[in-house]
Parts: sequence; C-alpha cells; structure tokens
Amino acid sequence: MKKFNIKVDGVMHEVEVEELGGSMVSAAPVTQAAPKAAPAPAAPVSSGPKPQAGAGSVVAPLQGTVQTIKVKVGDSVNSGDVVAIIEAMKMENDIPATASGKVTAIHVSTGAKVAAGDVLLDIA
Amino acid sequence: MSRKLTELNELKAKLRKGGGDASIEKQHAQGKMTARERLEKLFDAGTFVEIGLFVKHRCTNFGMDKKESPAEGVVTGFGQINGRLVYASAQDFTVIGGSLGEMHADKIVKCQEAALKVGAPMICINDSGGARIQEGVDALSGYGRIFYNNTLASGVIPQISVIMGPCAGGAVYSPAITDFIFMVKKTSQMFITGPQVIKAVTGEDVTADALGGAMTHNSISGVAHFHAENEDACIEQIRTLLSYLPQNNMEKAEEFSCNDDLNRLSPELNDIVPENPNKAYDMKDIIKSVADNNVFFETQSEYAKNILTGFIRLGGRSVGIIANQPKFMAGCLDINASDKAARFIRTCDCFNIPILTLEDVPGFLPGTQQEHGGIIRHGAKMLFAYSEASVPMVTVITRKAYGGAYIGMCSKHLGADIVYAWPDAQIAVMGAEGAANIIFAKDIKASENPQEERAKKIAEYDNMMMNPYVAASRGYVDDIIEPATTRKMLIAAFDSLESKVVRKANKKHGNIPL
Repeated sequence: MKKFNIKVDGVMHEVEVEELGGSMVSAAPVTQAAPKAAPAPAAPVSSGPKPQAGAGSVVAPLQGTVQTIKVKVGDSVNSGDVVAIIEAMKMENDIPATASGKVTAIHVSTGAKVAAGDVLLDIA
Repeated sequence: MSRKLTELNELKAKLRKGGGDASIEKQHAQGKMTARERLEKLFDAGTFVEIGLFVKHRCTNFGMDKKESPAEGVVTGFGQINGRLVYASAQDFTVIGGSLGEMHADKIVKCQEAALKVGAPMICINDSGGARIQEGVDALSGYGRIFYNNTLASGVIPQISVIMGPCAGGAVYSPAITDFIFMVKKTSQMFITGPQVIKAVTGEDVTADALGGAMTHNSISGVAHFHAENEDACIEQIRTLLSYLPQNNMEKAEEFSCNDDLNRLSPELNDIVPENPNKAYDMKDIIKSVADNNVFFETQSEYAKNILTGFIRLGGRSVGIIANQPKFMAGCLDINASDKAARFIRTCDCFNIPILTLEDVPGFLPGTQQEHGGIIRHGAKMLFAYSEASVPMVTVITRKAYGGAYIGMCSKHLGADIVYAWPDAQIAVMGAEGAANIIFAKDIKASENPQEERAKKIAEYDNMMMNPYVAASRGYVDDIIEPATTRKMLIAAFDSLESKVVRKANKKHGNIPL
C-alpha cells in the first residue's frame, strides 16, 4: 500500500494505492487522454483541460491570436513546414512544424486566443 | 642510459593507456573518443605537449592506496590550434570514471594558471563521473580552486568548456563560468542533480538526456552555446569559434585576408523587407548578405530564437552580431532574448570584438509571465551591457524601432558609434495605431464618425512619425542608406572605429542587475 497526494482541480486528495500482482494490460499511448484516467498514480496529474505537449506537439511560442491553421488532421507535414500563423505583436508569426509526420489532432481554431506554451496541434 | 630510456618509454606508454584497453573499448562503443584522441583531433597535428603525465593521487582511504590512476584521470598541456597557442585539459573517463580528486584538480588548476600567465585560450573537456568520493573534502577543494581560477581568467582569456560525457553536480559550475559551452548530442549531460536524485526527492521521472542533454541546454535552459551530432563535428566547431576570438583581452581577434569585395553591393537587400509591416522575413538573410563570403557563425542558435547572436567577418575582421529575428516571435525582446543578448555583448566587449546590431524590434513582449519573470531586471542587463561596452558599435535599423526596445537595441543614446537606418525604418515611440489612439483620443471621441476619424489620425501619425527622417533630423540616426550598400557602409564604419578608445571613470566594477 502506497500513499500519494494528488491535486485535482486545485484540491489536494490523499489516496492510497495498492499494487496488485499480475501484469497490467498495456494502455494505448496517451495522446490527450483525460488526466484522471492516467494509469500511473505517482505521476503529478495536471488538472487543466489543456492538452499536454508531446514530442510532436506544436506549441504557441508566444501569446496571440490564431490567424490561420494551414493543415488538416491527416495531412503529412515535414519539420519546418509552416502549419499555422499566430498574430501577435502586430506581426503574422509563422509557426513551423517541429516534427515530420501526420497531423493527428488540432486543438485550436482560427480566431482563438492562445497563451505561450499552448498546444496548437499534434504531429505523429 | 639506454636501459633507463627503455624504462621511461615503457612507463610513459603504460600511463598513456589510461584505464586500459577494456575501458577504452567501452568508451568507443558509446561513440566517445578517449581524452588523448580528443586532444589529438583538437590540436594541429603533432603540436600537443603534455604536462604532468606522472602525477599521482595521494589518497590512502578506502583502499585507494592500491588504486592506480594513470595521469590522474586528466590529460593537460598546450599546443597549437590553427597555429595559435592554446592550453587544454581533457578528463579521462577510463581512469576511475574521470573522477575529480585533489591532484586531478591540481593539474587542471596548473593548466589554467599557465594559460592565464601567457594569455592563451583555455579549453576544458569534461567527461567525469564527478567528485572522487574517497577523497572527500579534498575533491571539493579541487572544484573550488577550478571555479576560482575560471573567475579570475574570465574576461582575460577565452575559456571554452566542452561537455563530452557526464558533467554533474558541482562540476557544472566550471563550464557555467566560462565563455562558451559545447555539447554533443546523446553523449553529453549536465545537471546539478541527476535523474535518480530527482526521482527519490520529488518522484519526477526524467531521463538524463531530457534533463540535461545537449538539446535541453541548447534550446530550453540556454546554458550551452553549441551542439553537435558527434565529437568530430564538435571539435570542428571549437576550432572555428577560436578563429573569431583573440588570444586574450589585450589583443584583437586575428584579421584574415578577405577575398570578398569590400564594396560588394547586395541588391537583394533592397527588397528583403516586406512592404506590409505585419509580415516577417529572415534576418539571417541580411546577416549573410553583408558578411564576408556570406558566412554567419551562429551561437545559441536554438535558444531565444527571437534574437540572433554570433560572429561574422567584415573585411576580414571578426564582428559580433546581435540581431532581432522578425521570423520568430515577431523579433520581440523577452526575458530569454535579453539574457542571451546581454551575455553575448559582454563576451564581445571583453575580447575586443566590435559589435554590429541589426534592429527590427516591435517592442518588449507583454504579459504577466514576462513581468512576473522579471523582464525589467533581465531587459536591464542588455541596456547595461551595451552602455558599458567600449568596443566599436554600429547599429543598422532595418525596420521597426519602437519605444524602449529601440533605446535598448544599441541606439545612439546607449553608445552606438554609428547608427544607420534603411529608408523603410520606423523609429518611433510606438506603432501608429496605438499612438494615434492616445494622442487623438479626444478628437476621435468628439468626431461624428469616430471610425473614420481614427483612420485619418492613424494615417496622419503614420505619415509624420513612422519613418527614419525624424530621428535623422535630430542626429539619432547618422544616415539613411540604401540597403544594397550596407556591406560597404559597415566596413567603412568599422574601419573608422578601429582605433576607438573609451575612457571611463575608475571603479571596481559596475553593478549589472544580474
């Protein structure tokens, strides 16, 4: 039996977790799964609804407004391709893909306000 | 005599083997060279002279008296790089994990002192498991002495740190104090506390590479300045960097013969800045266009990409570049960009490298994140660094130069010797829209058609203020030049500043807001 403190929506919960024998069915790779369903109890759980940045995530480098999303889910992109434009500091900032692959999810729409670090889309 | 010589040669050969064949093989299997192989590659062929091969540790604790440590786990000496004298130390991971004890540190300290005495660059190659625990406080004392010497040598001789393996705990602070840090992908790591300690203390799971690998420190933390795919590429980068630096703070960087026309025009620059001020362009294109042979040797290329730093040559002379990058985050100034620029300005200033500032800056990045992170304190470093710098400084305003950011980017007011502007430059307190909204607030409100009135006033302000002519009429800009002529104008400017001397009030040192 192990004790953990978990913060959900800003409230601390003390939980006890018992390790059962046998192998767990391996979970599908987490892309943007609901935080509460995360199988690893020890990991600090983020309570926010915002998607977590993964290896192929394109994040907003600065606060601004999404002016254009240049790709659709399923599109193939190369690292460095401009996938979105964020208007900020009165400039149209090209946002390049950080990885090559297929666009698996788009988390923002045109006109959305984004903060620095927000995940715009995922590439896998 | 011949018997003695044979003995000597045998002993030397044995010591030079370091930890022996098995550990050397292990090192190679990881894609790493041995300490001696690295030095051989780094220095011009056959020029490296070793010092202190016979040094031994003095530890008798925990069975250490029976433990041999060939060359005490670190190779030190001097040699030539591109024909110039350079001192170096290279930790030998095959000898007790390259661990640092009293005598190991003593060898590095002696090397530092020698480099400082003769005014030659010092390169430290780090590949060490950390302190040699058996030696206790003697090992710690060793680190302290190295840091102290790093600090004494700072601003006197170029100090370069190369991470080619682990560099953990206190060991990181020697590189941190030096001028440049090089890292190699996959095999380099730097951290104060490693993944195991982090796991034990906070429960956080992180790999060594994600925590302190080459790309982490080159793109996220800003600790390192260069990254390379492998050790060979890393060594090439070091040799290139040295060519831009002088031997010490009393000399200028080596002047190379220039086979690129000094008066070469760059017609492409006349059209590089988009008509629409909301559109970005790549500042690197401008830098390459004016540089000798279009070569830009960039430092910290992956960190705070909204500002560019690095070296070029103009007419054969080494010049440091600070440039806003409109292509990334609109080229705004934020905390990281300010820190990156400030450090580079000081690096150039202490080694007599003239500074060229290319400016297209919309302002400081707004937001609570920035204000609470201390953008005031960090931005101040850049202003301080520019104001304090006494090397020749030339600024070219390619487009936007707004408000405090304009002042901060090496304006005439902070000590630029010559400021040029391109005809489409906008040197003003702020953009036309914001300014018109404030100045004409009453007129706009009182108007029957505020929308129309606002547009009219914005246009009025735009016409009157958003140009380089107002600043030029005050002498804040020395000339407005055709972009295509920038290269020759810069070469002539730096030529005229070659003998610049600035005398300042005597003081211990300024108090830069760190």
